[in-house]
Amino acid sequence: MSALHATLTYPAEIEEAIRQISEFLRGDYPLGKHTLALLLLQEDDEIWQMVRQQETSATLEQIRSVLNTVKTQMDSPIGWAIEHQRQQVGQQISQQVLQAQFGERAHSVAEWLGWLCMNPWTGFPILALVLYFGLYQFVGVFGAGTVVGWIEEDLFGGWINPAVESFVRGLVPWKAIQELLVGEYGVWTLGVTYAVALILPIVTFFFLVFAVLEDSGYLPRLAMLIDRAFKGLGLNGRAVIPIVLGFGCDTMATMVTRVLETRRERVLATFLLTLTIPCSAQLGVVLALLARYPTGLLIWMGVLVGVFLTAGWIAARVIPGNPMPFYMELPPIRLPSLSNVLLKTMARLHWYFLEVFPLFLLASVLIWVGQLTGLFDWALRAIAPITGLLGLPDSAGVAFLFGFFRRDYGAAGLYDLQQAGLLTGNQVLIVAVVLTLFVPCVAQFLVTLKERGWKAALAMFVISLGVAIWVGWMLKLALSALGVVL
Amino acid sequence: MRCGMCGHELTEAGIEKACRGCSAFGGCRLVKCLHCGYEQPQLPRWLKWLVEMAKRQQERKV
Repeated sequence: MSALHATLTYPAEIEEAIRQISEFLRGDYPLGKHTLALLLLQEDDEIWQMVRQQETSATLEQIRSVLNTVKTQMDSPIGWAIEHQRQQVGQQISQQVLQAQFGERAHSVAEWLGWLCMNPWTGFPILALVLYFGLYQFVGVFGAGTVVGWIEEDLFGGWINPAVESFVRGLVPWKAIQELLVGEYGVWTLGVTYAVALILPIVTFFFLVFAVLEDSGYLPRLAMLIDRAFKGLGLNGRAVIPIVLGFGCDTMATMVTRVLETRRERVLATFLLTLTIPCSAQLGVVLALLARYPTGLLIWMGVLVGVFLTAGWIAARVIPGNPMPFYMELPPIRLPSLSNVLLKTMARLHWYFLEVFPLFLLASVLIWVGQLTGLFDWALRAIAPITGLLGLPDSAGVAFLFGFFRRDYGAAGLYDLQQAGLLTGNQVLIVAVVLTLFVPCVAQFLVTLKERGWKAALAMFVISLGVAIWVGWMLKLALSALGVVL
Repeated sequence: MRCGMCGHELTEAGIEKACRGCSAFGGCRLVKCLHCGYEQPQLPRWLKWLVEMAKRQQERKV
């Protein structure tokens, strides 16, 4: 048997920094100086705390200076460079000691299934099946169509809202307060009804599917599957974490972009989230509305995927830098446990409802104030040229106004317009595309501002608005030119 | 509680540590996995109480 050849040597800048830091350290530590220096370079909180207790401020200053020098010398983050080198050596060792054949990889049904989810030839069809049955059929057709029909139209529209309305109108003599509570955009008729009867059932079904995917171990395999596709967008498979979470809530997902290694990746992922990823409620409503126009749904998906890839490709070339390699430890594929799925769904619903409910009520109050002062009508008139350009009725401006506040609120407004029979099939498709690409909601904009700075946040806002209107306009022209009538 | 992405077990200490580095200071009602950075909502108190009750019920049966 030949001797094993594998030497772990870090890049020259890191090796030099390790040597310098090791010489600076004077304290008595349970770890070797080389290991300590390595951990200090990776900015490990606990090790820094330990060193702070034993070294003088002058020494700490010297270590920090070395750390800053290495940061400026390296193209990639220090932690990543260290992990990358370890991975390389790990691969060298495994190549020398393991003899694995392709067929031997899958030992059990679970491992075999896991491998199928990651192989591009089988992984993408599996992804299509997950999207079709999980999102389209379960969330869109059944959840947002059938169940919302029962709750919003039959229960709230037929029973609860008329009762509350007559009770309030009988109890409160002032017209303005009646409007605030049960008017067209009232706290009850709009805020509570949207939150409880429309959005809550949709996100319940979405979170159920999400919990099943999480508990089965599918998500990390999805990350591995689309790692290669994401490389062209300047990202890697790790960006699946914020992108997938964006389908739940884009605000939360924008915060999660911190898990990405470089600022470039964080900016790219935030941009794609802002522009192309619909949140759960928005997705559910759009799926429900377009479920009756399957061609429209395909066009909507095609436009979004096209914008996602084009915007990502252009952005990756405008913002300089290289994509980072991606690797991830894979948990086993497992049968989801019912209790886990229910607990996760309940926890998410609790979280979502607390986020959404106060904002929906606040939006109703703001609209009421806007109606009293005439601001609401003024804003609708200001949007009218844009809705006209897109071939939409003026009333569609309401959905855009709501969309400025929250994405799901805008989607709920769109749902109402469709139910009232105010939109044709082509108009539903155009408004669905524009609302999906539309500006981030207030909460997402504020988080982007905090995380990426005002320049990036403002640029993303303006680009989203411009792209949404331009793509909607192009779609309208293309539908007319091709004679497509949904 | 297990991370929905990488499957690592989330401990109270780990959750606290992950929150320390965040500007939301845990006010978001989410827990972050220290291992992969994935965030998920934490179990609300009433749900924890229900889980405890169910566990006790099962223990009594055994």
